Amino acid sequence: MAYLKDQRRETMMVEGSWNIGAYRYKGSTQLQEYVDGLKEKKLIGSLCPGCGKVIVQPRNICGRCHRRMDKRMVVSHKGTITCFVISPPIEKGKYKIIGMDPVEAGVIQEGAILVPVFVRFDGADSNINTILLNCPPEKVHIGMRVKAVFVENPEGKLSDLEGVEPLKE
Amino acid sequence: MTAEKIQAVETNTLPYAAGFCWSTGFLMEKFIKSLAKKEIWAAKCPRCGYTYVPPRNRCGQCDAKIEEKDLTKLSGKGILVGFTKAYVQLDASSKFVDLDEPIFIGAVKLDGADSNLFMQIAEIDPQDIKEGIKVQVKWQDQTQGAISDIQYFTHYTG
Amino acid sequence: MLRNAAIIGCGQTKHSGRRRDVNQAELVSEAVHNALEDAQVSLKEVNALVVGNMQGFGGVANPDLWIGDWIGAPGKPVLRIATGGTTGGSVGQGGFYSVMSGLYDIVVATAWEKHSDSKEAGATTGLLHVALANFFHAFGYGLSMKNLLATSAVGAAAGVAAYQARFYMHRSGCRSEHFDMVAAKARRNAARNKYAHLQWPNCTPEDIHKTELIVDPFRYGHVCPASDGASAIVIACEDIALKKCKRPAWVKGLASYSDEETQMQSESGGGVGVLDPSEQMGARLSAMKAYQQAGIKDPKQEIDVAEIYQPFPSQELLFSEKLGLFDEGKAWIAMEKGETEINGRMPCDPSGGVNATNAIGSSALQRILEAGLQVMGKAEDHQVPKKVRNAVAHGWGGVTNYITVTVLGETPAPRR
Repeated sequence: MAYLKDQRRETMMVEGSWNIGAYRYKGSTQLQEYVDGLKEKKLIGSLCPGCGKVIVQPRNICGRCHRRMDKRMVVSHKGTITCFVISPPIEKGKYKIIGMDPVEAGVIQEGAILVPVFVRFDGADSNINTILLNCPPEKVHIGMRVKAVFVENPEGKLSDLEGVEPLKE
Repeated sequence: MTAEKIQAVETNTLPYAAGFCWSTGFLMEKFIKSLAKKEIWAAKCPRCGYTYVPPRNRCGQCDAKIEEKDLTKLSGKGILVGFTKAYVQLDASSKFVDLDEPIFIGAVKLDGADSNLFMQIAEIDPQDIKEGIKVQVKWQDQTQGAISDIQYFTHYTG
Repeated sequence: MLRNAAIIGCGQTKHSGRRRDVNQAELVSEAVHNALEDAQVSLKEVNALVVGNMQGFGGVANPDLWIGDWIGAPGKPVLRIATGGTTGGSVGQGGFYSVMSGLYDIVVATAWEKHSDSKEAGATTGLLHVALANFFHAFGYGLSMKNLLATSAVGAAAGVAAYQARFYMHRSGCRSEHFDMVAAKARRNAARNKYAHLQWPNCTPEDIHKTELIVDPFRYGHVCPASDGASAIVIACEDIALKKCKRPAWVKGLASYSDEETQMQSESGGGVGVLDPSEQMGARLSAMKAYQQAGIKDPKQEIDVAEIYQPFPSQELLFSEKLGLFDEGKAWIAMEKGETEINGRMPCDPSGGVNATNAIGSSALQRILEAGLQVMGKAEDHQVPKKVRNAVAHGWGGVTNYITVTVLGETPAPRR
C-alpha cells in the first residue's frame, strides 16, 4: 500500500452506546400472507389493478401507480436468475452477524462459497433475493433457469424457501 | 360509523447495542483529565471575555477562536442559579424507578465562569436550598480523570 | 418568482480515517469557517443555515443542537436535512432553495460525517444498525441465518452496488479490469487534492488488482473508505454574488428524484417492481430536468467536467451514462481511452470522488463543492486544464432511491 499518511495527535474518547434493543418494532402484515403461502409451498404475490405488475413478496400499495393491491396471485416455482454475486470462500472470523461467527455457529462450512442471487419467478415482476444451491459457482450466469427449493416440512417461515437450484428444461 | 378493527401485528426486538467512542477534542480532554488532579478548567474568549466551563475552542457569543493559552483554572466555588427536585430516575432498561430519597439538581455558576453546570446538590438541608446560595464542589476521594470525579456540590457559608 | 443563486465560497476540512483531534462540533466549525474565509463573508452577514449528516454513523442524535453556536446559528433559521448517501446533495440543494426562493440572501450549507466515533471495526456502526434494523422484521418471520449471512453480510458488504455492477457488466460488456482502472484513477486524482483521504500518487490498475476480493466483482481496492470530514459552501443571491466574488459558480439547474427502493422494501419486506438495479430511472430523470433548467441540450458537448457520486467504480461508469455524458453501455470504452482523466475530453471526478473520500453526510455536498471549484478556477492541483463553462454534480443515496443532480456554470441561466 502506498497511500499517503495523515498523522495527527489524537484526543481521548468517551464511550457510550445506542441500545437498539430498547425499540419494539412492529412486524409487517404483508409478510404474514407470504409466509402462510410458503407453508403450502406456494409463492404469493400481489397484483396491481392499474399497471398489471405482480409483486412477490406481496405488498399493499403499488410502488409505481400507487393503487391498492388487494388481489393475491400465485407465481410459478420456475424462474430466471436476473443477477448474482459470488462470495470468496467463507473463512472463520471473516464475517460477524450480531456478534456471531457463522462458521463457528455451524451455519455454513468453512471454505464454502455463497452465491446470493436475484430470481424472477415466472409470472412475477419483481426479484426475490435468495441463494443458489447445488450448482458450481462458475456455472452461474444471468438468464440461467432455476426452480425453487423448499424444506421438507415447511412451517410458515421465511426459511421454508431454502433457495433455488438449476432447472433442466 | 364503526371503527376499523386494528389488526395486531408481531413486535420484534433486536438485542444489539451500537457502540460509540466519541473524540473529545483538545480542550475538553484537558478539562476531563484535570479532574483527576481535582482541578476545574474553563476557557475564556480572548475577544469578548465570555468564560465557558467545560471549555470549548470557539466562542458561541462572538465566534472568536479560543486556544489552550486561554484556559483558566477555577476555584470550584460558585452560586446556585436555580434548582429542581427529582423523585424518579431511569434504570438500565429505560424504565422509571422511584428514588428512595428525592435529590436536588441545580444549575451552578462557578466563580469566574459565565456558563452554568448542571450538577447534583447534596449534603444540604432542604430548607436551606434557594437561588443565590453559595455552593462548592465535593470531589470523590479517589479521582481517575472522568466526569464522575465530581461527586456533587455542597452548600457552604462564609 | 425564482431568482439566481451562486456559490461564492467553499471550505473543507482535511478528510482522513481518524480525525480524533477534534470532536464533531469542532470538525464542522473548521469547514464552515474555511468557507466563510474563502467567500470573504462574516458570520453576521449569513441569514440562514442548512446542515445535515447521517446521525446513526457518528452516534449524535440531534447534532444541529450541538453544533449550533459553533457555526453561528443562534438567531438564524436552521434546517437539517438527511437523505441517506445523498444528504450532502440535498443539503446543498436546500441551500439553493433558500436563496432562489427569495427568502434569504446569504446561506451557509454544511454537511459532515465522523465515522471514527463509531466502535465497530471499519467504522460501520451506523451501517450495521441501519441494515440490521431493516432486516430484523424478517427474524419474526423466521429468516434463516444462512440467508441473513448471504443477503446482509456478504451481499451487503458492498450493498446493492455489487448487484448493480454485475448488471452493468452483463449489459455493457465491461469487465472487472475496468473497475481497477477507475479506482486507480480516483486515487491518483485524490493525490492532487489536498483535502482528500485515499491519496496514492502513482496508483496503477495492477496495484488495485492485487487486493483481495470482498465479493465478486469487488475487491478491497475498489471500495470507498470511511472518512471523517466536513464541507461547507456559501451561497449568495445574484446581487451579492456579483459584488463579492470575481468568478462565482452559478446554479443553473437542480433536480432531485426519488424512486422505489431496489431489491426489497425496507422494514416491511414487500417486493419492488424494479428488476434492474442499474436502471436508476431517478438519475436519468433528474439529469434531464436539471439540464432543461440549465438550457443544456447536448450534455456530451456542453458539460466540461462531472463530479459523480461513485463509492464503487462501477457507478462512475453507470451514472456517467445516466447523466448523458456517454451513450448507454459505452462509458467504459471511453474511460479505457483516457477520456475521463483530468486532462481528458470529459474529466470525471478530478477530485478523486467518493471512491477516494467518503464522509457519508458530506460526500454529495463535496461533489457540488468540487464542481463549483472547477467553475471558479480554484481547484489548484486538480483543476482541469480546459475552460469550464458547465459542470454537473451528482448525488446518490437512500436504498439506491434518492438522486440529486446540480448543474453549475460560469454564467447564470436566463431568469425564469
